[in-house]
Amino acid sequence: MRVILGALAVVAALAAAAEAQAPITAVRIGGTGPINDPFGAHWRQARAVQVAMLPQTVTLPHQPDPAVKTLSVRAVHNGGWIAFLIEWKDPSLSNKVILDNFGDQVAVQLPVDVKAPPPSPMMGNPGGRVNIMQWRAAFQKDIDTGPTTIAELYPNAWADVYPDQVLGATDARPYAGALGVENPISRGRASPVLDQMAEGWGSMTVKPDQHAHGKGVWKDDAWHVVITRPMVSDDLNAPRLVPGVRTVVAFAVWEGGNREVGARKAWSAWVPLVVAPAAAPAPKK
Amino acid sequence: MPKVYNWQLGREMDYPYEGRRPEKQFAMVFDTNKCIACQTCTVACKTTWTSGRGQEYMYWNNVETKPYGYYPLGWDVNILERLGVQPMDGPVYQGKTLFDAAPTGEVILGYLPEDIDYAHPNIGEDDSTGLMPRGAHLTLPHMQWMFYLPRICNHCTYPACASACPRQSIYKRPEDGIVLLDQSRCRGYRECVKGCPYKKVYFNTQTRVSEKCIGCYPAVEGGRQTQCTISCIGKIRIQGFMNPPDRANEDNPLDYLVLVRKIALPLYPQFGLEPNTYYIPPVHVPPPFLRQMFGWGVEAAIEAYRNAANDRKLLGALTLFGATPEISHWFRVEGDVVIGYDSKQSEIVRVPIKEPVVIREVYDPKHRAYRTNIT
Repeated sequence: MRVILGALAVVAALAAAAEAQAPITAVRIGGTGPINDPFGAHWRQARAVQVAMLPQTVTLPHQPDPAVKTLSVRAVHNGGWIAFLIEWKDPSLSNKVILDNFGDQVAVQLPVDVKAPPPSPMMGNPGGRVNIMQWRAAFQKDIDTGPTTIAELYPNAWADVYPDQVLGATDARPYAGALGVENPISRGRASPVLDQMAEGWGSMTVKPDQHAHGKGVWKDDAWHVVITRPMVSDDLNAPRLVPGVRTVVAFAVWEGGNREVGARKAWSAWVPLVVAPAAAPAPKK
Repeated sequence: MPKVYNWQLGREMDYPYEGRRPEKQFAMVFDTNKCIACQTCTVACKTTWTSGRGQEYMYWNNVETKPYGYYPLGWDVNILERLGVQPMDGPVYQGKTLFDAAPTGEVILGYLPEDIDYAHPNIGEDDSTGLMPRGAHLTLPHMQWMFYLPRICNHCTYPACASACPRQSIYKRPEDGIVLLDQSRCRGYRECVKGCPYKKVYFNTQTRVSEKCIGCYPAVEGGRQTQCTISCIGKIRIQGFMNPPDRANEDNPLDYLVLVRKIALPLYPQFGLEPNTYYIPPVHVPPPFLRQMFGWGVEAAIEAYRNAANDRKLLGALTLFGATPEISHWFRVEGDVVIGYDSKQSEIVRVPIKEPVVIREVYDPKHRAYRTNIT
């Protein structure tokens, strides 16, 4: 009963937050292809919306006091790709993952069916599927500077020989754990953003076809992360975001330095999202 | 939260999932009185399963010295301290389990070790409880003590790791009770590492997901005991299957040792996980320490063990330890011989309970030579 009441209180709080939340408008910009640069001039055309982040306290386990309270979000599109620039203060860079060190992450959530009433903002619900694109600082580091090696994490570590040094690639696979079964979070990714879908807690599934891209830069004690995806694709588990559509978007953020991971996170209510039909006027100076 | 029956506590308890016992339960018995911490088991496990990148300091099997050895550092004292002092009297445990003690917002009371806690797998090795004053070693019993504690995953009936995982990446196999962690499904949240009080789930920095002992399931499915068991040079282990406690069969060696004779006891039963590796307690260690570690049956277990020489069937079951690489599903004592049988009731091993004594005369007249004992 306590859990149900807690859930109702959180839903009420999220609903109240949604009413107070200014909409995010994805303004039309020029160009084609993925929009990856967090410092591109085009972001000046989009208004930054402050999105309030709340602790996830409905499903177990909790982090009752997540570090990030607000995200600054801008959105643009070029007719083919839509992109979100998400920025937040983070004085501690967390992009190396070891047992007691968690990575910074941020995610954008969109309902798959943009015409239906929005599903639960909490990772959807059975029958109410959401598309969740999650950027991870650890993936970004893999792409920027190569995969983190044992020697980098533990400079004095020593091992005589690894199976992959004496066996062929196929025979060494059983010794490579999750890498050997191609767990999508392990490594070797072309994009720092995981394209996923969910219908409620514990159901997050990485899609077979990955369409999301992005880039994150940690600069001046803050993360500047772009998450971008095609507005329309052949993916049945992605929304069709044609110019002019009105839908919703939600966010989640994990501050690795605060041991936030999985359900221990800050999340937002649904925020209205408008995909602008034409180029928005430049903001007044 | 569902109620489940924990036979080790003699009572029902709360557990996040419905209690469904497997058809048979993977189990292991260790005779701590025979373990010399040679680590042959540790190396057998390591070379079989954890020689890859990111597994350098990952020991699914380890042997630590008690009371001052730990892997990872302080794993048991850390969680015991968080749980607080509990009444350790049986046959019905009146204290809190780790599920009872879960803080708000958590499934279970746990803690995440620091990375450096895994850096010294042999810390405290061979350390006893204190110094021996001059001449003290000549008197018995010794005033100081230590013993070796071999450990693998307990393949618990009510696993903390499985209950803590928000993605249901960890599951308990209905056919044999082995607890496995799905390497495709895990997302590396480390809730299992935090939740397991035995700290038998490990995080791999190279794959960014967690890994654990798999109970050598490919061998076990073929009727063979685990690598750590069959490599044990001291023959301190036996691995097999247990029946549910209400269907204990005294002809099954594991059932006989654990459920019928209660000579082998679970590790920290008060945690409430119903762990399925069992220990014959060391006979020379003060019972209050053992009671905290193995529960309220220690005095009776030690007494039964000390009397094993006069106890034919018990001696027979103990003789099966290390006698065959195959899993003994049944056993029978016939005269001075113990016989082990596989799952099809075919004989797999026959061992004399008492080894024949052969006396060789000092002088060998056939070779006209004197024999010299060089051992």
